[in-house]
Amino acid sequence: MSNTLIEATHIVQEYSQPNGKALRVLDDINLRFDGPSINMLLGPSGCGKSTLMKMLGGVRPWNVKTPTSGEVKIDGQRCDGPHPDAVMVFQQYANRPDLTVRENIMYPFRFKEWSRRVASEEASQRVDQLLQEVGLADKRDQYPAQLSGGQNQRVALARALVLRPKILLMDEPFGALDTQTRAEMQGLVIRLHAQYPCVVVSVTHDVSEALAIGNRVIVLSTQPARVADDFQIHVPQPRQAAWLDGAEARVLHERVLSHLRAAGARGNIRVTV
Amino acid sequence: MSNFWNPYSQLAIAQRRLLGVGSVVSVLLIWTLLSVSGLLSKNQLPSPLSVAQAMSYLAWYEGKSQLAVATLWSVGRVGMASLLVMVVGIPLGVLMGASPRINAFFSPLIDPFRSAPVAALLPILVMWFGIGEFMKIAFLFVGSIVYLTPLVRDAIRAVPQEYMVAAQDIGATQWEGITKVLVPLAMPRIMDAIIVGVSVSWTYITVAEYVNAQEGLGQLIANAKRLAAMDQVFAGIIVIIAVALLTYQALMWLKGRFFQWEAKA
Repeated sequence: MSNTLIEATHIVQEYSQPNGKALRVLDDINLRFDGPSINMLLGPSGCGKSTLMKMLGGVRPWNVKTPTSGEVKIDGQRCDGPHPDAVMVFQQYANRPDLTVRENIMYPFRFKEWSRRVASEEASQRVDQLLQEVGLADKRDQYPAQLSGGQNQRVALARALVLRPKILLMDEPFGALDTQTRAEMQGLVIRLHAQYPCVVVSVTHDVSEALAIGNRVIVLSTQPARVADDFQIHVPQPRQAAWLDGAEARVLHERVLSHLRAAGARGNIRVTV
Repeated sequence: MSNFWNPYSQLAIAQRRLLGVGSVVSVLLIWTLLSVSGLLSKNQLPSPLSVAQAMSYLAWYEGKSQLAVATLWSVGRVGMASLLVMVVGIPLGVLMGASPRINAFFSPLIDPFRSAPVAALLPILVMWFGIGEFMKIAFLFVGSIVYLTPLVRDAIRAVPQEYMVAAQDIGATQWEGITKVLVPLAMPRIMDAIIVGVSVSWTYITVAEYVNAQEGLGQLIANAKRLAAMDQVFAGIIVIIAVALLTYQALMWLKGRFFQWEAKA
């Protein structure tokens, strides 16, 4: 498969527990991502969906080998650490409090990796363009503490997209936002994705969000997590209320919920990594 | 008075100043009353007036200002020692904060002295370095660096891990993680560490200048004490407190000026 961007095969993740036994969190997960698409990853709390999502871009916590076995290939190359073509957007934005909005979006170019890859004029131009596109041009000189949660998340999105990533990972990006802001952000993600096509893998708790912006929905079970469901939604974006409130969406909604309920019934040990 | 026990209430500047001036005036008042009451002898407690006279004598007498000379010497020593403490202590603290291994190695050499009397080391320093200028700087250096270094380490460690994870995700090397993520984010707290370090130097200056007293505010006080000139002792102490306070205020001002984002965050 020449156009496969991410290929995860036989992914297993185990953590050692105080009692010495290994706790298996992810069990034999196989996923492939080809062209640009928005992929929504759902699963019960603590099932390991965040860990899996990070693995897909090589982001890893300190001192933990991920995955325990199996492999992730990006562009056919085995991926064992942060991959330069994969960028992550964190739930808590990770905006630097000591930098202005513009400096925060310019931030990646402070590091050799990116100052080497992108000339400074080009970088500056990309930053100014994204400031416009996320609607923060008038806030460029403000600090993150002066912004709302939604505005902070716009900064984080812009910082990821100035790198023109092939893979954009999002860890419950709108989980901390109110309903109104979340709807705006979903619209923004769709617009930006059209502008900067890439493989988006986004973890979410919110089934409606998955149906509103996902081209593909992947549902994980838990303890250990396996792929419980994996389907495409071919309805073009932005999706109209008529479809979102309609029968097809309701059926899909119920389909996802039934998987989550089935998984939730299997216990509620929380794994936080 | 409903706000009396409210730690979050804001005082008007005028009210804050009034209370501050009030506390100083109260002390002066009690001091005056005690000294005129005759309960304490002049050698125990000189009157505010005689301290003021001693101050003016020290400040200017027969074309010489003992006070200015002494202050310059002390400021010079504290400044020199603080500079050395920063040059050595900040990088060391940063490295200790950034690497648990480096911390495990240096921590036993530094941390115990935070709670141990550094003044007890003075005889050893005299043995090693003699009684000259070098010993005084070395003493201030040791006394101050054992406070500054662990505070710098803690400042680095207090930087939330999310910033490092996010920076590494966009390609920061480990070294860039230290220089471009940890240090800038820790700067306000490193500044606090510098303020503590300089303040500690000011508390040790009298001890440092006590040995082989030649010049400096510590010497001025020690000398006056030998001559039983209590008014001059008081004058000297007041000047030390004033200079230390001035240094503190200046550093706080600098901190506020350079790290405005911290107040907002």
